[in-house]
Amino acid sequence: MALDELGSVAANRVDPVDPSRRRLLAGLLTAYTASLIPWALAQPAPRADLRAFTAISAILVGRQALDAAQTVRLYDALAATHPNFAADVQALLTLINERHIDPLQLQGVLDGEHSPLAPLPRSIMSAWALGVVGSGENARCVAYETALDAVIVVDVLKPPTYAYGAYGSWTGKPS
Amino acid sequence: MSAELSADIVVIGAGIVGALAAQRLARQGASVLILEAGPRLERARVVAAFRNSPFKGNWMAPYPPSPWAPHPIYVPQDNGYLKQAGPYPYPAEYIRAVGGTTWHWAAQAWRLVPNDVRIKSLYGVGVDWPLTYEELDPWYQEAEDILGVAGADNTGSPRQHPFPMAPVAEPWAMRRVRERLAPTYAVVANTVARNSRSYDGRPACVGNNSCQPICPVNAQYLGINAVEAAEAAGAKVVPNAVVYRIEHGAKGRIAAVHYYAPDKSEHRVTGKQFILAANGIESPKLLLLSASDKYPNGLANSSGMVGRHLMDHPSTSLTFYADEELWLGRGPQSPSSINTLRDGTFRSQHAAYRLDFTNISQVLNVTNDLIKEGVYGTEFEKQLRWRAARQINVKNVLEVLPNPDNRITLSSEKDAMGIPKPEAHYSIDDYTRRAAEVSKADFARIAKLMGGTGLRYSADGQFANNQHITGTMSMGNDPASSVVDAFGRTHDHENLFVCSTGVMPTAATMNSTLTGVALALRTAGHILPAKNTHAGTMHSGHEASLA
Repeated sequence: MALDELGSVAANRVDPVDPSRRRLLAGLLTAYTASLIPWALAQPAPRADLRAFTAISAILVGRQALDAAQTVRLYDALAATHPNFAADVQALLTLINERHIDPLQLQGVLDGEHSPLAPLPRSIMSAWALGVVGSGENARCVAYETALDAVIVVDVLKPPTYAYGAYGSWTGKPS
Repeated sequence: MSAELSADIVVIGAGIVGALAAQRLARQGASVLILEAGPRLERARVVAAFRNSPFKGNWMAPYPPSPWAPHPIYVPQDNGYLKQAGPYPYPAEYIRAVGGTTWHWAAQAWRLVPNDVRIKSLYGVGVDWPLTYEELDPWYQEAEDILGVAGADNTGSPRQHPFPMAPVAEPWAMRRVRERLAPTYAVVANTVARNSRSYDGRPACVGNNSCQPICPVNAQYLGINAVEAAEAAGAKVVPNAVVYRIEHGAKGRIAAVHYYAPDKSEHRVTGKQFILAANGIESPKLLLLSASDKYPNGLANSSGMVGRHLMDHPSTSLTFYADEELWLGRGPQSPSSINTLRDGTFRSQHAAYRLDFTNISQVLNVTNDLIKEGVYGTEFEKQLRWRAARQINVKNVLEVLPNPDNRITLSSEKDAMGIPKPEAHYSIDDYTRRAAEVSKADFARIAKLMGGTGLRYSADGQFANNQHITGTMSMGNDPASSVVDAFGRTHDHENLFVCSTGVMPTAATMNSTLTGVALALRTAGHILPAKNTHAGTMHSGHEASLA
């Protein structure tokens, strides 16, 4: 994947970065990770313990902006179910910082090295993309309409149970 | 024991089939009591339960079982209610609640094709039904008029009168499938109990794309609509009444049924006529549970056939990416299928089948796949949109022949009320497996016509189940080989009738609900010939011939 190219496309879409906000995450990132998520630098991170999570989330989901309230909600839910969540998130960020791991290669690298951090990206992705934290009997839904799998396609589809539109509005070509 | 309840007609089971039989009888002036093991549900709460569920792909999740009336649950793990004796698993799903399993059906309301009821005579397989398609036609019509069925005339099932409404507007994705598969395959609109216009106080579909597990807007006919209609006609529903025994008198007539309330208090209900309508698994379970000195093998079971001939519709499938954007998920879930393989001389060699296209949003499955594959970063969003726009699925719906070894029995395990759990003995024979193999060529042809890439066939020998429980109380003319007669009356007990898809002697290739409802209306018409018809019936000339 041409990450640099995608990153620059994304970077072009964000407003000029406010230097005071940039400092919130800047200390956590190397030039490499900052290049993955230039937009995330522009986001305020209201709590110190959320900064690494915000950075990792931005890297994993590849989005230009993360909703601040949802960030808090997902972090709290994940931290409540994962022992040492904050430390693991920091360790994962450090790993990516130091080894310049492409997000597309990240899971393969962690699995291949039998890293204790291997389950972490999927847990965080599940929270953001599906709105689901935990698994099996402990699975919990913390978002639905605002989960990324709904948000990413919102121009074409409604989340199931929400009306698409008036009768027959689905007959035309999606645009 | 509390004071006894009593009614002219006692119905066990408040699903769509039992409730519509009850409604018809109540309208004739009979006092009708419906006993339902499960609780009442509220649509809005079901919708909320789905939205809050961490298991959006599991349509049973919004319907947790009650402790006193458990039903099978498999996600996040098997609750062990429906025991599996093998050799092939039969993970049936159903809902024990007022309204029954059609709370979360796809509303596919198909008729059989005429030859489905004569496959023994025509093809030398299975059994013939004790009635003809022509005899069923007016009862299908009555059922279609009540349910508000939308359909077209090109599906292979002839009819005397028009559908109550035109087919539901075709989603863009299905239009493209139809256009690109023509003329190799004729893709037609499914026959569905889903409104293409306002009908009987319910609105037209607005494309919520959650027909399963719940239609939020009441555009799709559900069992709860049938229950409410029965109540409006004067029937009384007792929820949370877990019937555990049917009591007979000295001459074999049914005298009463006994139920537990959730606190396990015991109640006895007497009546003149009894209708067992608790689905194709719970009904035979109850007949077997009601064994007595006079009937040591259970009630209605002098043939030994109660619980046997269990059938359903197994499916194999192909998932792939089309070469254009289709965006499944706009409009209702189950719009279109290919019906040309429902009948033919090949049925002497292999099962008939229908080919069914889903219009269920692919976003959830695609997202799960991407997370499983570890696709992160900006590629995640790109891939999600690309796949969700192009992913499509086609499955077969395969006929299963009646086999006495496929059956429901009583497990040695008991539920929380101390009632034996049902146990499934099931296998899928070569007749059905051969059809699955044949249909793979159809899958491949369809994928090619759609410019398909990334073809993913379901694993060889693995079948998904469709929850069309049939056969376990089969109808027939011979009391030695069937449980009920052509009118649903048990051969052994003159005042005990069965209304259920379980009376169907063969499964054919179609979702079984409409046939179950039509047969139940016919049974109700036999118990009490109609004086008036329901409000929605427009074609009611048939009753006179049955009076």
